Amino acid sequence: MLKVNDLGYWYDRQENSLFEHVTLNFEAGTSYAIVGQSGSGKTTFLSLLAGLDKPRAGQIEMNGESINKIGLTNYRKSHVAIVFQSYNLLTYMSPLNNLMTAMAITDSAHRGDKRYAMEMLRKLGLSDEQMTKNVQRLSGGQQQRVAIARTMVCDAKLVVADEPTGNLDEENTRDVIELFQKIAHEQHKCVIIVTHEPDVAATCDHAYRLAQHKFSLEA
Amino acid sequence: MNFFKRAWLNLTAKKGRSILLILVTSAIMLFVLAGLLIRNAADTATSNAKKSVGATVTLSANREAAFKKMHSSTSTSKSSRPKLTTSPVKLSDAKKIAKLSNVASYNATVSTSANAKGFDAISTSTSSNTGGGMKGGMGASSSGSGDIAIAGVTSTSSVTSFESKSSKIMKGRGITASDEGTNNVVIESELAKEDSLNVGDTIKMKATTGTKKTYTLKIVGVYKASSSTSTEQGPGATDPSNSVYTSYTFANAIKGSKYKNTADSVTFTISDPAKVSKVKTAGNQLISTSKYSLSTDDSSYQTVKASMNNVKSFADKIVWLVAIAGTIILALIVILMIRERRYEIGVLLSLGESRWKIVAQFFAEMVMVLVVSVVLAGFGGKFVGNQLGQQLVLQQTTTATTSSSSGTTGQPGGSGAPGGSTGSKPSGNMQGGPGSSHTGSVAASQKQTDLDINVTVMDLVELGGFGLAIMFLSIMLASGGILRLQPKKVLID
Ligand SMILES: Nc1ncnc2c1ncn2[C@@H]1O[C@H](COP(=O)(O)OP(=O)(O)OP(=O)(O)O)[C@@H](O)[C@H]1O
Ligand SMILES: [Mg+2]
Repeated sequence: MLKVNDLGYWYDRQENSLFEHVTLNFEAGTSYAIVGQSGSGKTTFLSLLAGLDKPRAGQIEMNGESINKIGLTNYRKSHVAIVFQSYNLLTYMSPLNNLMTAMAITDSAHRGDKRYAMEMLRKLGLSDEQMTKNVQRLSGGQQQRVAIARTMVCDAKLVVADEPTGNLDEENTRDVIELFQKIAHEQHKCVIIVTHEPDVAATCDHAYRLAQHKFSLEA
Repeated sequence: MNFFKRAWLNLTAKKGRSILLILVTSAIMLFVLAGLLIRNAADTATSNAKKSVGATVTLSANREAAFKKMHSSTSTSKSSRPKLTTSPVKLSDAKKIAKLSNVASYNATVSTSANAKGFDAISTSTSSNTGGGMKGGMGASSSGSGDIAIAGVTSTSSVTSFESKSSKIMKGRGITASDEGTNNVVIESELAKEDSLNVGDTIKMKATTGTKKTYTLKIVGVYKASSSTSTEQGPGATDPSNSVYTSYTFANAIKGSKYKNTADSVTFTISDPAKVSKVKTAGNQLISTSKYSLSTDDSSYQTVKASMNNVKSFADKIVWLVAIAGTIILALIVILMIRERRYEIGVLLSLGESRWKIVAQFFAEMVMVLVVSVVLAGFGGKFVGNQLGQQLVLQQTTTATTSSSSGTTGQPGGSGAPGGSTGSKPSGNMQGGPGSSHTGSVAASQKQTDLDINVTVMDLVELGGFGLAIMFLSIMLASGGILRLQPKKVLID
């Protein structure tokens, strides 16, 4: 589904490339973990997959079409959903409205379906009262669940997450990881999670390690 | 959940910020409104001035041409004494001019005098009946002079002194067009008091020229001349209280049969003072310009227009200054606001929202703020506008009054040409020494410079339009930041 072809990226100079000649394949219905040392370039790689930045070399294809051709804004809107370590919710809205907004912007099939959004939030353990008050009044774990619910109500087949459990305790981490597996296996999406937690990486179907500018499959 | 709804959610969630924004915007809108109000009021006042400030065109004998003729005849025929011959205005000419567009009404003026018979004229120490000094020299084409000055008019209401309210009908009514051919008369209140005359009574007058016939007149009204005008008459004039108004037909009858259907002068009231010169041009084609001339008087209109234009240009400057300053202030606020909301913009961009819709959301928020601000400014605008308007009028009226009186002093408006059959501008004002015609124009301009400050729905709509333009410019200036913003930089830190 998602093909990375001869990908290379550097910030200031080509000699300092974070990674070069990366060729990988990501399939729907599968979860992937990306691990590696701090500063190795995991987040940078993910931002390329998410269409937040353009690669210096090579290209990324979604269903055989270059994402540059799709257009990055259009690609973000229709093909990819992003979860960040810091949740990245619209702070002036309720969880429900965050979902409604995302559904509207991404032109989801469930666009405008309030009951569907509420059902999704309920599945993720939010009470009806919690889903209508401001998101900032929720705990970190609850906020991250809202961010995950946001990816679930959108139609994008690719879900990328950058350290989604970084701010969560053990119990919340387990819940969130379980959710990502469900997204991959039940919603038949492609889930790519950057993480430094071995437990999280272990629950994914495949794990890649970024080291020495190269990605290699972990055992 | 479109950008419009997001805008609403954002404004209602961040109430404190929204209230501050509304206050700042209201303040800016208030200043713009004040400028707009003054400008609109000046506009209205100017167009009102156009309608109500008396601009006139007067048809009278062409004295200049008559003098020329007199001098040329001196050189050719030395035997006879040169004689200044002027022709009275023919009413048929006047009626043609009255049919021109923009001519609202006309007033024929015939001045003459007669002797009181069976009642006493008022005598003042300075005046003597034999002095021959008619007020302002009016009606002196008749060789003799009586103690009662008769002003024959079409209607008293279009006589300058009545228009300017320096003369007022106290009892009965004034002379109107329906008095044509009658012997109805309107006398002054002092004369009425001295002789115990009242409306309905009859008086007798004897013509001093022509047939020397005695006429019986019926009093239909009593008017009061303002006392100040009496001081303006020259020495030797009879007391102003001896001035009576009749239909111009009666004055013509007194003067003699050859004056039938003529007038000393005919004054046309122009409905739109801006068209005065147009009427004059058109009128000149209808008359024999060697015998008659058309003179214009729109000085009070010009004065009012000039003073109103001052107010208007000042108000225009205020509007633009405030609009520019407001745009800068709001643009800075919006830029700050957008910087503060980089994170939110990043989230929206990461969801795939298009940049222009994010700009549209900010614009929608500002428009919502604007709507509330315009209403608030509307409430405050009346107060601020009134204060400012009063200050301006205070200044402008002084200027207007000064320039108005100095402007008319030099006018050939004084009907005080002694011995002249018709002044170049017979004002129909019996006490017509130089200066008497000023009262009217000054009063008119003072009246017109009152700025009527009222906040109308149209004002608010105009203000809203201005506000929208300011908001649009501000957002455009600030949106450079949004359009350049890289979501990755915002979100990954
Ligand atoms: N905007 C930038 N400009 C220049 N260099 C950058 C920029 N962002 C990141 N870097 C550098 O690129 C390298 C990779 O950063 P990146 O954030 O991708 O690492 P990471 O693998 O996600 O690390 P971590 O596990 O700590 O999150 C780092 O050395 C970082 O200093
Ligand atoms: Mg990182």
